[in-house]
Amino acid sequence: MTTNFEYNQEALKNLQIDDPSILDRLIDGESARQAHLKKERGKVDKRISLKEAVQEFVKDGDIYADSGFSYVRTPLQALFEVMRQGKKDLQGIGSPNTNHSYGIPYGTFSYSHNSYLGAEMRGTDRSYSKAVKEKKVKILSEWSHGSMGLGFKAAQMGAPYIASKSLLGSDIIKYNPYVKVVENPFKKDKDPVCLIPALYPDVVFIHVQWADKYGNARIYGPAVNDIALAVAARKVIITAEEIVPESDLRNTTNTNVIPFMFVDAVVHLPYGAVPGNCPGYYYWAREFWEWGIRIALSGKDDKYRDSFWDYWVFDCKDQFDFIEKLGGIRWLNKHQVIERALNGINEDDGIDLSYQSVIPKWDEE
Amino acid sequence: MSVAPANPLEMLAYVVSKNIQDKQIVYVGTGLPMVGAILAKKTHAPNITLVYESGGQDPIEGSMPWSVADPVTWRKSPITMEMPLSFAQAANGYVDVAFQGAAQIDMYGNLNTHIIGNDFLNPKARLTGSGGGNDLISLTENTIIVGLQTPEKFPVKLDFITSPGHLYGGNSRKEAGLLGNGPVAVITQLGVYDFEPVTKRMRIKSLHPGITIEIAQACTGFELLVPEGEIPVTETPPLDVLEILRNEVDTQKMFISFPPQ
Repeated sequence: MTTNFEYNQEALKNLQIDDPSILDRLIDGESARQAHLKKERGKVDKRISLKEAVQEFVKDGDIYADSGFSYVRTPLQALFEVMRQGKKDLQGIGSPNTNHSYGIPYGTFSYSHNSYLGAEMRGTDRSYSKAVKEKKVKILSEWSHGSMGLGFKAAQMGAPYIASKSLLGSDIIKYNPYVKVVENPFKKDKDPVCLIPALYPDVVFIHVQWADKYGNARIYGPAVNDIALAVAARKVIITAEEIVPESDLRNTTNTNVIPFMFVDAVVHLPYGAVPGNCPGYYYWAREFWEWGIRIALSGKDDKYRDSFWDYWVFDCKDQFDFIEKLGGIRWLNKHQVIERALNGINEDDGIDLSYQSVIPKWDEE
Repeated sequence: MSVAPANPLEMLAYVVSKNIQDKQIVYVGTGLPMVGAILAKKTHAPNITLVYESGGQDPIEGSMPWSVADPVTWRKSPITMEMPLSFAQAANGYVDVAFQGAAQIDMYGNLNTHIIGNDFLNPKARLTGSGGGNDLISLTENTIIVGLQTPEKFPVKLDFITSPGHLYGGNSRKEAGLLGNGPVAVITQLGVYDFEPVTKRMRIKSLHPGITIEIAQACTGFELLVPEGEIPVTETPPLDVLEILRNEVDTQKMFISFPPQ
């Protein structure tokens, strides 16, 4: 296979990437531009179901990105549907890319562009460690949050690449075929900079609080990389807590808005970020991650892992099944109350924010 | 009324707080640095501004966040930043100090959060990767490293340089093109360390009560530099500060209970 790009040879060798053409699409700005040129220009009702959106817009082998930050405004229910539909060989990219390890045992993700994979203070994702060792996943590039974010930003700004002061001197550069260290051409004295190419994922799911039927979408809380991802990706699917009239978004133009023209499909998906946190709507299910880290992501035993994902993903048909398993309306209301208290929207005095660890019996053997 | 003395994690949080000066812009992650920063804000440094990686800026007071993207990190923030812009804030000189932890730290303050073992594709353990760690230490004016000190965590050679400190010592950080002063201090359960100005090697600055040079060295894989003269004893938290830490900062004891939960 031929490639049109010049990659860092040391990184190709270190990552044992024999055929670098697999790397091309992520930085092929021209093909992304052509995909964007073909998108619907008119304001049309783009609402479809989650099932249809995944069927139509996620192709095996796609470079898959998602919104938010780990478990904040992340389209986890869309990810679970991608797993349920048996999509294969996706390249996961994101800063962080925490949630992309879940599908590795099922072949959903076969490649990763890493920036951070873990659950912060709740622990390390040992299942990813195991997958790397067993060659169930191939690492295509290593990044920091900032450098990957700048790659999406470069795409958003229409710049082929951006020069950065991140990554210099680190070993990450030896494991990233895309980045290059050069001397700053504007300075007389030596001044190394790291060039980061514009990054164009194939498909991105962006979960938002509000969207209209055309795809104009509004985010409450940190936008993370999502404004850039919406411009960069070849295919953009909005999943929204609420579908609001267009006039509603026009009245609040000063918040983060993704314009309709970038958007291929709109899915009305209340609780689409469950078991994560959706700012203003619901707090995250701390017990889900506690179970997850101890069982599914512990790397201890495949049967634990499979029973976990069977229970939470493959035996659920949608987010409502999932919420029933968490505790139904009582769970939901409690987490709505906590979220609004934490946001400062509702009174927090008297709201119990404490959390007692859950140790499932099936983890004790 | 008697107040129990500080446990090692409370001591760590207190030393972190004392390394923050009033009116600084402070970039924090989850865990003890956040506890220390909030303690500083409630005691000697009420005018600091907290900045979080996921975009939160200057939140109003709330409970302990579980994550750098928790609602508490941007509670009623006047603005939230897109993530690359929060790192740009550091690159542009609008962050004074950032705190970081790591699985491994070497004598030059380089950090590893990538792998344990020397085979990248078949490591003993794959860790989280960089997150914002590489960006912060590369871009921020001053970085303070916080962690538990053991010979394994303080090895002679890192398995992977995720986040560059003083690289190979001397001027190597500057020559690599990195911004800022790099790591200026390391805070552990045993003591506080700085970096000798010429070699940029880790040097004892103070030791916590009861800790000797021998103990500190025994818990370190490389040779610590020892300054001339008597080594100061790290200041311990006054009782009123300890009470604030326990009753107003980490009330659920998420980070300061010892042994850790």
